[in-house]
Amino acid sequence: MPILHNVPLTLSIEQLPRRQGVGELLNLRPEMITLLHELLNSVDELHLLEPVIAYELHSITEMQHDRLCLKDGTAFHGQLLPSFLKTARELAIVVCTIGPRLEEKVTDYFKRDEPLQGLLLDGIGSTAVDSLVQEVCQLIRHEASSRGYEASNSLSPGMPGLPLSEQWQLFQLVPAEQIGVHLTSSGMMSPRKSASMIIGIGPDMPTWTEAQACDRCSLKETCHYRVYTHPEATT
Amino acid sequence: MNKVKQISEAIVQLKWDEIAALTNEALEAEVPALEILNQGLVPGMSVVGTKFRNGEIFLPEVLLSARTMKTALEILTPILSQQDTPSMGRVAIGTVKGDIHDIGKNIVVSMLEGNGFEVMDLGIDVDTERFVEVVRDNNLQILGLSALLTSTMPMIEETIKALEKAGLGQKVQVIVGGAPVTQAYADQIGADGYGADAVAAVEKARDLIAT
Ligand code: B12
Repeated sequence: MPILHNVPLTLSIEQLPRRQGVGELLNLRPEMITLLHELLNSVDELHLLEPVIAYELHSITEMQHDRLCLKDGTAFHGQLLPSFLKTARELAIVVCTIGPRLEEKVTDYFKRDEPLQGLLLDGIGSTAVDSLVQEVCQLIRHEASSRGYEASNSLSPGMPGLPLSEQWQLFQLVPAEQIGVHLTSSGMMSPRKSASMIIGIGPDMPTWTEAQACDRCSLKETCHYRVYTHPEATT
Repeated sequence: MNKVKQISEAIVQLKWDEIAALTNEALEAEVPALEILNQGLVPGMSVVGTKFRNGEIFLPEVLLSARTMKTALEILTPILSQQDTPSMGRVAIGTVKGDIHDIGKNIVVSMLEGNGFEVMDLGIDVDTERFVEVVRDNNLQILGLSALLTSTMPMIEETIKALEKAGLGQKVQVIVGGAPVTQAYADQIGADGYGADAVAAVEKARDLIAT
């Protein structure tokens, strides 16, 4: 049950606009950008990030169009995994978090009646989770290549074709409690700034861009946080 | 530009550091507080809402304009209450049981307060019984329920059912929101209103109270 503590994350101001729902930094007023800089610095100064990853590899024994079975007899339901991970031999099951400190600070801002700082810092926390997920993908790619395989991008419960109820199953397969993550009565992860995911390991694993992932999402028409494919990238 | 127009502009231009002075100047020039509110602040916020919807400004900026408006309201409210002007309305809001996401709900709270509503923030992971108790014991016009995930969303419906069971269905109007919530879901579970974002939440609360 590998657990990685103190995963190094570097956040830059250029990464922040997406999770602030503003598209590009240029769209924000200068005073907001200054505030974002200050908050980003405070993340380091106050040690608000405690990134940790817990993962476990499981062999796949059977795949049907709406079910994927693992060696220990458990199964994931929904069509997402079988349709994307046809050639996978193993699954990496991962839970990661940036810990509770950042969100406690966000709550603090709201209590002190500084909602703008709270909102911006919350967005920075989500960007940190995105970076952590990138680290996870990198890590699993290494694991895969050491076995002569490739790794897919990550798929998460809650995406179309992989019901959120599969979170309970996922949490059976990875020691999330050891990194301080648990599910609430309704299946939400605490701390909030956490992500759970499944990565396929095998020959010819598919990868996709963030924009392609956004294209598949049911909220794509209205989401303020979506990533667009740049026109030049499609030609 | 007249004083009231200047105040309206200050809201639109997010001049949070100038609004207090402008409001005081207008009062000194004997502009009635209610006129500052209804012809300065409220139209200013409505322009902000339109700009947000058109993608010209973003949520952090909307929040800053609500803050600007709140500063002005803090000056006006004592005067308005002497004149027996009722508040915009009383709202209680919380994130449902098993759901600990609070940023969306907090932003809605800030926007409602910025727009002159009295808000009771019940926090996150709120038991159905607590919502029922709050509605029973307080004189509220609106109850807001928030959820982030489809797995926590059923607790919205549970809460509405519990209110009905307690005979409180008619006592309060329920508005619902959060990432996975839609108008169709709101209709299906018998909510009185749905807000896709914090601007819509304020508009919905205002409309429901007006009708
Ligand atoms: C940022 C984000 C994250 C971040 C931060 C999460 C957090 N809680 O802090 C991270 C990366 C950590 C994350 C993780 C996950 N996420 Co996420 N996330 C989002 C995203 C992009 C934005 C959410 C957000 O913070 N918005 C900012 C606030 C300000 O907006 P808001 O909460 O929606 O509130 C506004 C409105 O909804 C409305 N509103 C809110 N409450 C109320 C109440 C009333 C009464 C009214 C009228 C209006 C109203 O007004 C608010 C202000 O404008 C959404 C997609 C989206 N477009 O919303 C997905 C989304 C919510 N996530 C999703 C999923 C699946 C997850 C995970 C389960 C994935 C996983 N397996 O790891 C986890 C769960 C995390 C957990 N703790 O359990 C799905 C949920 C789908 C579903 N089936 O429910 C979404 C919809 C994305 C998607 N389409 O796939 N997530």
